Amino acid sequence: MKKPNLAVEFCGVKFPNPFVLAAAPPTDSAEMIARGFDAGWGGAVVKTLGLEHVEVNLVSPMMAGLAYEDKNLIGLENIDLISNRHLPEVLDEVSDLKKRYPEQVLIVSMMAGTEDEWKEITRRVQDAGADMIECSFSCPHGMPERGMGSAVGQSAELTFERAKWVVEAASVPVLIKLTPNVTDIRPIAEKVKEAGAAGITCINTVKGLLGFDLDTFAPIPNVDGKSTAGGYSGPAIKPIALRFVSDVAKDVGIPVAGVGGVVTWKDAAEFLLAGAEIVQVCTAVMRYGYDIVEELIEGLGYYLEDKGLESPADLIGRGLPNIVSHEALSRDYKVAASIDEDLCVGCGACIVGCRDGGHQAIEFQAEAAGPDGERIPAVDDEKCIGCGFCRTVCPVTGCILMKEREDEA
Amino acid sequence: MSDTTTRSGALVESDRTYAPHEAVLEASRCLMCEDPPCNRGCPADVDARRFIRKIRFGNFLGASRLIREANLLVGICGRLCPQEILCMEHCTRAELDSPIDIAGLQRFAGDVELGTLAPLPEMADERGERVAVLGSGPGGLAAAVELRKAGYRVDVLERSGTAGGLLTRGVPPFRLDRSFAESELEYAKRVGANVLPGRGDANPAELLESGYDAVLVAVGLWKPYKIGLPGEELDGVLVASDLLASVADGERPDLGKRVVVIGGGNVAIDAATTALRLGAERVDLCCLESHDEMPAFRSEIETAQAEGIEFHTRTMPAAIVGEGGKVVGYEGFGIRWKEPGLLVPSNAEKIHGTEFRLAADSVIEAIGQSGGDRYDGVETDRRGIVAVDPDTMMTSRTGVFACGDVTSGGATVVQAVAEGKKAAEGVDRYLRAREDGTSEGGDRR
Repeated sequence: MKKPNLAVEFCGVKFPNPFVLAAAPPTDSAEMIARGFDAGWGGAVVKTLGLEHVEVNLVSPMMAGLAYEDKNLIGLENIDLISNRHLPEVLDEVSDLKKRYPEQVLIVSMMAGTEDEWKEITRRVQDAGADMIECSFSCPHGMPERGMGSAVGQSAELTFERAKWVVEAASVPVLIKLTPNVTDIRPIAEKVKEAGAAGITCINTVKGLLGFDLDTFAPIPNVDGKSTAGGYSGPAIKPIALRFVSDVAKDVGIPVAGVGGVVTWKDAAEFLLAGAEIVQVCTAVMRYGYDIVEELIEGLGYYLEDKGLESPADLIGRGLPNIVSHEALSRDYKVAASIDEDLCVGCGACIVGCRDGGHQAIEFQAEAAGPDGERIPAVDDEKCIGCGFCRTVCPVTGCILMKEREDEA
Repeated sequence: MSDTTTRSGALVESDRTYAPHEAVLEASRCLMCEDPPCNRGCPADVDARRFIRKIRFGNFLGASRLIREANLLVGICGRLCPQEILCMEHCTRAELDSPIDIAGLQRFAGDVELGTLAPLPEMADERGERVAVLGSGPGGLAAAVELRKAGYRVDVLERSGTAGGLLTRGVPPFRLDRSFAESELEYAKRVGANVLPGRGDANPAELLESGYDAVLVAVGLWKPYKIGLPGEELDGVLVASDLLASVADGERPDLGKRVVVIGGGNVAIDAATTALRLGAERVDLCCLESHDEMPAFRSEIETAQAEGIEFHTRTMPAAIVGEGGKVVGYEGFGIRWKEPGLLVPSNAEKIHGTEFRLAADSVIEAIGQSGGDRYDGVETDRRGIVAVDPDTMMTSRTGVFACGDVTSGGATVVQAVAEGKKAAEGVDRYLRAREDGTSEGGDRR
């Protein structure tokens, strides 16, 4: 296969591919970002920087994973802060990186307090050679206590004011990174647009409390017996991210960098369909390394080829027209569960699910079992309302399908 | 789970038990079937689906206690059950990849309570009647606990000086550490059963006369068969059950470098693998049956093979050869069955030209055991198997019940537990009926 051309343009900036390292530990030094670029990432957002006087006092441990059965990291909770590195040193690295990797897009994430501080850091970052600026209005832990981070992104007013300061000082495109820890992101995104920013990055982490140590009653991650609510990321938050991305893309109409739970090219394609123009990744890179971009690039390339599409841009927002209000959904379309008896292993998980979580529509066929004594569940079409839950519990892919009812079509 | 590389050579149990997260992971493979087939495979009615669910969702103590309600030998059966022909045989997960390791999970559940005192079961009000249980193996223990739960006063009379029956003196320590049986005996005592070792003279008729209201015979099959071979009197010929009992008691007899075991059952396999651990350099196992006909559990045969036991299947012994009163060899020959499917010596036909001789320092006979007792008024066949009503487990003598190997002719530990529970129920029904002055449950045939 020829190397797929995944180049995209986002806010007027050309990216070799839409896969970008999010502002996080994997982008905290030039050495790390360079390895990311060597692996194939189309861009990187340098971990959020603050001015020299901003004290960054880290705690440890600052991360913990949520395990579920055989998965030890379906979600990652962190109480990390912005970069604790010295601003001039990082900006020197940015200049150097930009020279070494002219094709890759270097975005610098930053955070400040007053108007003067925001404008100062904006000028210094773009003077260092950043292609774009990303303003974190969204970190849910630590910084809000000091009036920064998500304390800004939760207020349309503060968001507008600060976005405008940065836009006024900036000569490169400005992205505003928003928080999902709001009831409705759209009024805030409108203010970002009104302030003249080029685009929105969403979502930052979801504020959460991972759990407790049941022996000491200390929350997790346990910092000497105490903890604090932190930022939750990883595969678990993908549905939340897709919702916010599509809300912004559909109703606000401003370019979106999608981020939140992307692991595979399929996740990335879904973000494009939801209206994201580039896709940022963090937790999966921390978990599996920079090399996973190879699967993102190749997988998306094969997919586009299979669909006869030229570019990732052909996917952007293609799913949005299909997101409608509940009221607008068809009431004429009726499905019922259909079980493939050849694939069925006879566990009856669908029976339990339907009995205790549905409408008591599935039972083992009363008349004797099959030739090998196998147990075959049968759907009572009269009782089945087509909810689809049985399909979600079936251990065999493709065994239960929701088929359109012929009688009521 | 079985780790043959470390298992070989040690006389201590070395099979690994799941770590908690591994147990949850294995349990999470369970499809949590509706009407689960696994539950139908357990003679003792352990609710496998339910205890696996408890492990899956982190309720380890709940799993342990649920199993114990049905089968007090939680960890023991997790180790000894031939799960591949019981609960795991019909596991639906096998349709997808491989069955759930139900035995391994039961073992995990059992180990959860190791070193702690298992909570006592719910007890009925104390009743006045006294029941004597002869034998403290799996069947006797299970029955004793059930009878105590029903409120009876229970004395467990054990022939040997060590209680536990085959659990303490019949299964090699590397398959089952004696401490497990000891902790279950302790449990039975805490439930209130009087376990009295060294009571070999117990006799149902006398016990009934001396004031017991019912007697349960659960003595197992303890009398080993001898083949009657030329040379059987030689120094170096021994019986497997004696060997296993002495090893369980801590003795380490010297069997020499070459050992021949005669027999194809689990006891023969246990004797062979024990001989390896006692320092034998080569162990030959000679049996009448073909590999597939051997009555030993598949998993045990496979372990023995992995440990290097040499199998001589479909062979029959001819003689044990001696020099100066000491064993030096074993002679046998190949056989075919006259009639297919009848796996007894009288149905074997010698194949001429297949005679063979093995060097041997010891020859161990493991061709089975019989019931060694006869009781007045208790119908018993020539092998010492006691006849019982399958519903009540009562023998031909009113008030005398029997369970376990002495009625089944030799089965699994879990089967003995199941029968022990059933016999306890039979005793309870009998004593209540007697109290009510009705004949219900008391009459037999």
